[in-house]
Amino acid sequence: MIEPLLEIKNLSVSLKKRDNISVAVDDLSLNLYPGEILGLVGESGAGKSMTGSAILGLIEPPLYISAGTISLQGSSIMEAPETIRGSQISMIFQDPLVSLNPLKTIGEQLIKTIKTHFNISKAEALERSKKLLSDVGIEPERIDAYPHTFSGGMRQRVVIALALAPEPSVIIADEPTTALDVSVQAQILNLLKQLCTERGTSIILITHDMGVISETTDRVAVLYSGRLVEIGKTSDVLQRPQHPYTAGLVASTPNIDPNSFEKKLFQIPGAMPDIDDVPDGCAFHPRCEHARDKCHTHRPPLFDARVSCWLLEKPGGTL
Amino acid sequence: MERFFRSDFFYHFRHAPVAIVSFVTIILIILAAIFANFIAPTNPFDPASLNLMNGFTPPLEANEFTGERFLLGTDDQGRDLFSTILYGLRISLFVGLMAVLLAMVMGVLLGLIAGFLGGWIDSVIMRFADIQMTFPSILVAMLIYGVARGILPPEVRYEMSIVVLIISIGLSEWVPFARTVRGSTLVEKEKEYVTAAKMIGLTRQQIMLRHILPNVLSPVLVIATITFALAIIAEATLSFLGVGVPSTKPSLGTLIRIGQDFLFSGEWWILLFPAVTLLALALSINLFGDWLRDILNPKLK
Amino acid sequence: MSFVTVNQLTRLFDLSEPWIVRTITGQKKRILTAVDCVNFQIEKGETYALVGESGSGKSTIAKMVAGLLVPTSGSVIIDNKNFNDANLEKASMNALRRKTQMVFQSPYASLNPRWKIGNIINEPIKAFGLIEDENGQHKRVIDLLEQVGLSERDIKKYPHEFSGGQRQRISIARALASEPEIIICDEPTSALDVSVQAQVLNLLKDLQKNFSLTYLFISHDLAVISTMANNIGVLKEGVLVEQATPNDLFHKPQHDYTKMLLAAAPNLQNN
Repeated sequence: MIEPLLEIKNLSVSLKKRDNISVAVDDLSLNLYPGEILGLVGESGAGKSMTGSAILGLIEPPLYISAGTISLQGSSIMEAPETIRGSQISMIFQDPLVSLNPLKTIGEQLIKTIKTHFNISKAEALERSKKLLSDVGIEPERIDAYPHTFSGGMRQRVVIALALAPEPSVIIADEPTTALDVSVQAQILNLLKQLCTERGTSIILITHDMGVISETTDRVAVLYSGRLVEIGKTSDVLQRPQHPYTAGLVASTPNIDPNSFEKKLFQIPGAMPDIDDVPDGCAFHPRCEHARDKCHTHRPPLFDARVSCWLLEKPGGTL
Repeated sequence: MERFFRSDFFYHFRHAPVAIVSFVTIILIILAAIFANFIAPTNPFDPASLNLMNGFTPPLEANEFTGERFLLGTDDQGRDLFSTILYGLRISLFVGLMAVLLAMVMGVLLGLIAGFLGGWIDSVIMRFADIQMTFPSILVAMLIYGVARGILPPEVRYEMSIVVLIISIGLSEWVPFARTVRGSTLVEKEKEYVTAAKMIGLTRQQIMLRHILPNVLSPVLVIATITFALAIIAEATLSFLGVGVPSTKPSLGTLIRIGQDFLFSGEWWILLFPAVTLLALALSINLFGDWLRDILNPKLK
Repeated sequence: MSFVTVNQLTRLFDLSEPWIVRTITGQKKRILTAVDCVNFQIEKGETYALVGESGSGKSTIAKMVAGLLVPTSGSVIIDNKNFNDANLEKASMNALRRKTQMVFQSPYASLNPRWKIGNIINEPIKAFGLIEDENGQHKRVIDLLEQVGLSERDIKKYPHEFSGGQRQRISIARALASEPEIIICDEPTSALDVSVQAQVLNLLKDLQKNFSLTYLFISHDLAVISTMANNIGVLKEGVLVEQATPNDLFHKPQHDYTKMLLAAAPNLQNN
């Protein structure tokens, strides 16, 4: 059995607003294995970005981690996220401009990052920077250019180079292609996949786009109302979804198909509840056509280490 | 009303001691001014009630001629300081309030027009604002005050002095309103609800007043609060310089001017009490305005 | 003649610095051709979709069809009328505006946050003088809310009390209020979550059937377009590089750019 690289156990992130406490990430357990791309998918407010922030130690009041542990290679990183962040775990955001300093050339930024993590000379750092740029598909000659001279897709490549500079074992990519055009999106996703195979870096890819999940990830975790509802191999989960929410999500995603004009899209009624208004029992039950009495009152555990739904309670039970 | 007490706004208010103290101070001062004729022992604006023999009575001491006692003492003309401050507050608050209203209406409208229409209209309005901002606003107010006094026929000058004061302070404080409203208007006019209004053929005037105006007003409230304090101080300054309200109807500034003449001869109370009142009022309004700005600014939440 | 005819539509934007700056620095004028000689027709009751990446000029075309932006040259004819016809009488202009409505991308910016839902939906009814008495207006607003899947009790609420999908429904109800014949949908679901997107797309389809609406549907997402369009136009840098029915476009794409878009689009079924 392969040891997980990153292990999240029973993580809860809560929000304290006025005198109320609501739970944004609720008892989430996940493992990330070496060299894999794990997708975190869910609709806005499902807690996927917050999970990413929790791993990086970026949770700030009024949010706080109310339970659970996060460990990297077997040791907890809850106490020392500052040092872990950057050297072991890197982050790629949706908007590349968040991570880039507009006043410094990309070379200066890369060299500074490399020199913070490795005790090497400036010349060596420069060499590494050029190597990184060519790895992400930017001509090394552009090392002295400022971020604003790059297009959106090229900026995201620079951000990826910066994220790779400390040679991290985990990269968390939070909607890395949402702001980009489809053609550029495909290039960036391919780049991430390629880095994963070549360097053995593990990636957590946070996205709302089922298509991106399908084409990029090895395993996928589906979140709903801050809870894990289904996790498994991407092809299994997307082709044979076990949880009614996952099934609905897959069915309501439009596909490029000339015949789809005749059909209506499958639709899940209603919308995901606000985090301060999560129903009892299974959070999905008000929208679920299979909901039974038990679903209203009891929260389902994760059956078969895959699906959190009472339908799967008996062996052999399916949707 | 019930909704207000459950709102975030009220919640934050309840948890901010500075806001509560300053708000209570402002309310107390305003109430005292409104009900001055019930609270004040004498009417200082009525010459018949004055006794010159009572002049320069120190606080709480008996007057050496008449034996009367006054809570905060009397001034040179024997006016009871406590009553004079209450009545003076009325004038200060009235002038401040009207000046802010004038500045607000003018600034909001000009800012809205400049931001929405853009082009040369925007340039003219905002360059004029820039020029006005290069002068201290008290100087602008004095200039307007002087010009107005010059234009008015001598027989109405006395009655009109408060109106002239309001106009000169109001005209000197419109720029911050206009700048803020113009900025928000530039943001709002690009939003899609404005496009939707254009799609149904609304006129520019309708779009400005019905759609954009309600959405640019929340920062205006904050500026109005802070400008209110500025206007009260401006009124006091003008009155202190002797160009404000006549000394027969003294405002806080007039009282401070009278008081400073006697400061070095030992009659400290004539200056101190009006000055402390002005300080308490201006400080409370500023503190409350600061808190309001923090709470209404979504970026700081 | 088609219900909507877009003929040689062109729009330039002047991106130059002000005259004085150009004189000092010696820069030339910078003119951007956002839309370049675009032609297409939409038949009544059908959906024409424009697909393109950012900067392709699809929103500029939407604005010109909506009468919000004057074309540099070329024309948009809707039901034999043209927004930019100087001889158009005021009454015909009003009628044309009433017939042409729009649904926007952002569920947050498209509704005035200070207005109640009832007033937002009632505004077009009042502006076009469709119903004069208040009772009738009230009934019509309820009617419209129910058509988009909301209810009478939502009349007194403000936009912030609704989710993104519900706001988009309100936006659709407002567009329907003037009894339009063509609705321009500018990325109507790209800010929504997948499950909500399906609801809104289905609603748009139902409404099209019930009121024989004509749609100009703008999107960057080929998958969304494939569920909506009778005809698709592919835009690249202001030029319409290919237009075809979905069947032809997806099975036999002619232009390299279309092929690239199809290959790059993430698709669930490719796995």
